[in-house]
Amino acid sequence: MKDLRIDGTISSPTVIASWQEGVLYMEGDSYPENSYELYAEMVAWVSQYLAQSTSPLTLELSLLYLNTSSIKVMMDIFDEMEEYFQQGRQVSVNWYFDVDNERVAELAEEFKEDCHFPFQIIGK
Amino acid sequence: MSAPNLYDLRERFEKDRILLCFNGPISRSLIEEIGNALKNYLKSEQMSPACALDVFAAYIELTQNIRHYAASSQLPGVEVATVIVSYDEGYYRVSAGNIVKAKDGEALVARIEALAKLDKTDLKALYKTQLRKPRDENAVTGAGLGLIDMARKSSKPMEASLQMIDGETAYFSLSIEI
Repeated sequence: MKDLRIDGTISSPTVIASWQEGVLYMEGDSYPENSYELYAEMVAWVSQYLAQSTSPLTLELSLLYLNTSSIKVMMDIFDEMEEYFQQGRQVSVNWYFDVDNERVAELAEEFKEDCHFPFQIIGK
Repeated sequence: MSAPNLYDLRERFEKDRILLCFNGPISRSLIEEIGNALKNYLKSEQMSPACALDVFAAYIELTQNIRHYAASSQLPGVEVATVIVSYDEGYYRVSAGNIVKAKDGEALVARIEALAKLDKTDLKALYKTQLRKPRDENAVTGAGLGLIDMARKSSKPMEASLQMIDGETAYFSLSIEI
């Protein structure tokens, strides 16, 4: 199956998805005006991977600032992962943050509250 | 025609401790460019990264709100935004204003006043409820979360004002203190 690569811009993160490894990687700020359009391909990749593969899925996230529409996109992805997790699928999130910026950890923490799958918030 | 009196303008900026001001049609790229300037300024001020992120977030949500409103309302002149970031007595203030339909402005002010009555716990609960609401299929963005998020970040209740221009339109402004 296909891999995905979306180059980052000043207002959107670099996105790399590897089907073979079962990893979706995102790094950067996310405040595009058109979040749903921008992330449509990535959201579709996650849905397809969860539906068509049986291997684990890991999200490796180094996201800093997310505007509210990006937050909504991420919540939708986590909700979908949660559904699969409840059916026994292995899914996890590793969210990396700079220890100097506790606001990023707080944002990740609020997502984690609504997820039962392994969700690690890792200070660097 | 006389030349604009820049000295008076500068005096006003200094008196109000305005560190960034923009007035004009706002575009996606301008939001990014001004945002970058703001980020660099906040970094040079040795501000804590968390606080700098809050100021930046307030700036982005306010200006993007205006862009979304301009796109949906089709009102002439609505894309002209006034954006100010100022600093006073330990607080950063981010303010933004634009022209709105009077009835939209009234609804916004009512919503902001309702949010101002909620404490942090209530705001968080409301935020989570809104986050889970299915989004409008036609909406490209505008999760409806922006105002609640701003209310959560604001150290004092947000301040909104509405100044009537004529029977149909008004000037709406919103101010957030970080």
